[in-house]
Amino acid sequence: MFDVVIRNGSIIDGSGKAAFAGDLAIKDGRIAAVGKVEGEAARTIDALGKAVAPGFIDPHTHFDVQLLWDGAARPALEHGVTAVVPGNCSLSLAPLRAADRAKVVGMFQQIEEMPPEAFTQAFDWTWEDFAGYRDALAGKLQVNVAPLVGHSVIRLWVMGEAAQKRAATAQEIGRMQDLLRACLDAGAIGLSTSFVDLDEHGWPVPSRFAEYAELDALCAVLGEYGRMLQCVPEFYAMDLTIARIDQLAELSLRHDIPTTFSPLFDSAQAPESAPRAIARVEEQFARGARVWPQMQTRPIDLSFSLLRPSLFFARLPRWVRILRQPLEARLASLRDPETSQKMVADLGPDGGQLMMGHLVVRGGDAAPAALVGRTLGEIAAERGQAPARALIDLSLENGLDVAFLAASMGHAATDRIGPMLAHPLVHVGASDGGAHLASFATYGDTGYLFSEFVRASGALSLEQAVRKITADTADIWGLKDRGRLQPGAHADVVIFDPSTIARGAERPVFDMPGDGMRYTRDAVGVDTVLVNGEVAFEAGRYTETRSGVFCV
Amino acid sequence: MAAEAVIVDAQVAPGHDGAAELVLRLRHPNGADEVVSVDAEVGFRLMQSCGVADVGGLAGHPWRRMINGG
Repeated sequence: MFDVVIRNGSIIDGSGKAAFAGDLAIKDGRIAAVGKVEGEAARTIDALGKAVAPGFIDPHTHFDVQLLWDGAARPALEHGVTAVVPGNCSLSLAPLRAADRAKVVGMFQQIEEMPPEAFTQAFDWTWEDFAGYRDALAGKLQVNVAPLVGHSVIRLWVMGEAAQKRAATAQEIGRMQDLLRACLDAGAIGLSTSFVDLDEHGWPVPSRFAEYAELDALCAVLGEYGRMLQCVPEFYAMDLTIARIDQLAELSLRHDIPTTFSPLFDSAQAPESAPRAIARVEEQFARGARVWPQMQTRPIDLSFSLLRPSLFFARLPRWVRILRQPLEARLASLRDPETSQKMVADLGPDGGQLMMGHLVVRGGDAAPAALVGRTLGEIAAERGQAPARALIDLSLENGLDVAFLAASMGHAATDRIGPMLAHPLVHVGASDGGAHLASFATYGDTGYLFSEFVRASGALSLEQAVRKITADTADIWGLKDRGRLQPGAHADVVIFDPSTIARGAERPVFDMPGDGMRYTRDAVGVDTVLVNGEVAFEAGRYTETRSGVFCV
Repeated sequence: MAAEAVIVDAQVAPGHDGAAELVLRLRHPNGADEVVSVDAEVGFRLMQSCGVADVGGLAGHPWRRMINGG
C-alpha cells in the first residue's frame, strides 16, 4: 500500500516535457510511481483540474534565523516552496562563537531588518559550529533546507576582530579551509561571499577584506566536494559585475565548481546592463565555466517616507533642501504654512497628481488603517486637497511615519524580462526571502512567474516555468533526487491551479518575535504542498508535520 | 587638468532595496560609457558638490566631484 496517491492530476514532472494526465504515488517519503497508478493508498488526493509539480526551490534566502522558530519559512511553503537555500551573501548563523554573536546579529539586522527580539527571545542559542546549527533545526523543519555557510562568519571565527581589518595570513587561510571542510561535512551546500554588504555600522562585512588568494583557497575546498560558491558582486556598476563574472568563471574552471551571483535585474535607466551580463555569462559557459546569474521575477517597488530624505524628490530642489534638514528643523519647515505652500506650488498646476497621485499608502507604520492600500490621489480628492498637500499633511499628522509606495518602478518591463528569465543560462532566483522585512515582501515570486510570465505574457510555457524553479535549480545546486517527479526522487510536490496561481497583495503583518512587523504576500492558487511525502500545507492551512530535512 | 570621466545623464530609479537611487551614466575620455548607481546619501552629496538643485543639472559635471567633493 502506498502512503499517498495523487490522482487525476496534470503531471508536470520538472524535466520540461509536456504535461500529461496521470497519478503520482508516494511511499516512505519518496516517489514510488508516476503515470497510471494501480493500488491502494493510506491517503488519496484528487488533483483533477490541477497541476502536480515538483516542489519549488528558492536558491537565495535569508531564512537562517526565522527557521529556528518557523520551520515552514512562512509564507514560503504555502507558495509551493519545499526547499530553501539560506546563508547567502556571506552570512550564516554558524560557525559562530558565542562571543561573536552580537557582531553577526548586527550584520543580519542590517540585511534582514529583523527586530532584536528575533535573536534574543525566539530560540535558545545552543550551538557554535555548523553541525550544532543543523542539530538545532532538526525536528523543526517543514521545508527542506540546503544551507550555505557564510564567508564572513568563517573569517570571523578564524581571525576575530582582524576579520574586518586586514587580509588573512597563509596560516589563517589554512584554518579557514579546515573550517569550511567541517561545515561541508556537516551539511553545508556551499560557501557564500559578498563584495558589497555592510554591517550595522556601515563598515564592510568580513568577506570584503579577503584577497583573491583566500577566495581561491576556499574554492579549492569547494572543489573537493563539488559545491557551490555564491557571491554578491558590485551590482551597482555593471563593469565591476562583469569583472566578477570573469573571476567566478576562473574559480569555476580552476576548481570545477558551480558559481552563482545575485542580484541581476533589468533597468530602464541602463537597459544595456542585464543583457551585457548575460552575454558575458554565455561567453564563460562556452569556455566550460559555470557562472549562474540569478534574476528575480518580481518588479521592484520604490518606497519612502518623509522620515528620511529620498531621491524620489530629486527633481524638486525645495523639497530636497527641506527634507535633508535635521528632524526638528524639517518638521518646523513642513508645519510652516508659507513654506509648505511653496512646496505644493513646486509641483505645478496639477498639485502633484501626475508625480504623486499614484502613490499608495503602505501599512505597518503609523499610517491610519483606513488609508492603507489607497492611492494618494484618492485620499487627496477626499480631503479636498492637492496630492502634494495631502502627502505633507498626512505625514505631519502621523509623525512623518507614513510610507508611500510607487509600484513596479524597476525591473518591470515584462517583454524584456520574460525572455531573460527563459534564457537557459539564467537562474530564476534572488528572492531574498526572509530579508528586507520592513521594506517589502520577498515572497510569492514563484506565483508571479506563472501569473506574469506564463499566463499574461507567454514568455515561458507552464512546463518551462516549472522546470526553471525545480529541476534546473536542483541540477545547478547539486540537490540529489530533488526537483523532479520521477520514481525514487524525494516526494516534494506542489499541487496548484495553473489558471490562478499568483502572489497575493502585499500586506503588513506583526508576526515577528517581539511583535515585529514585516511585509508579506499570501499564496494564490496553491492547493497542497507535500514535503518528503507528508502533507505540509493544504486547504489554506499549515499542518503540524515536520518532515523537512537538511538536504544536499 | 587631465581628461576625466564626465556625467552625461542622471536619473532616479528604485534600487535593489526599494529605495530611490541615482543612476549615473559616465563618459570616459576614450568615449566609453559606464553606468553607476549610487544611494541617496551619495547622490545628494554629489548634487551638493556639483552645486545643482536638480538631478537634471548633473550632466556635464566631472565624475570626480563625487570623490573629492568638487
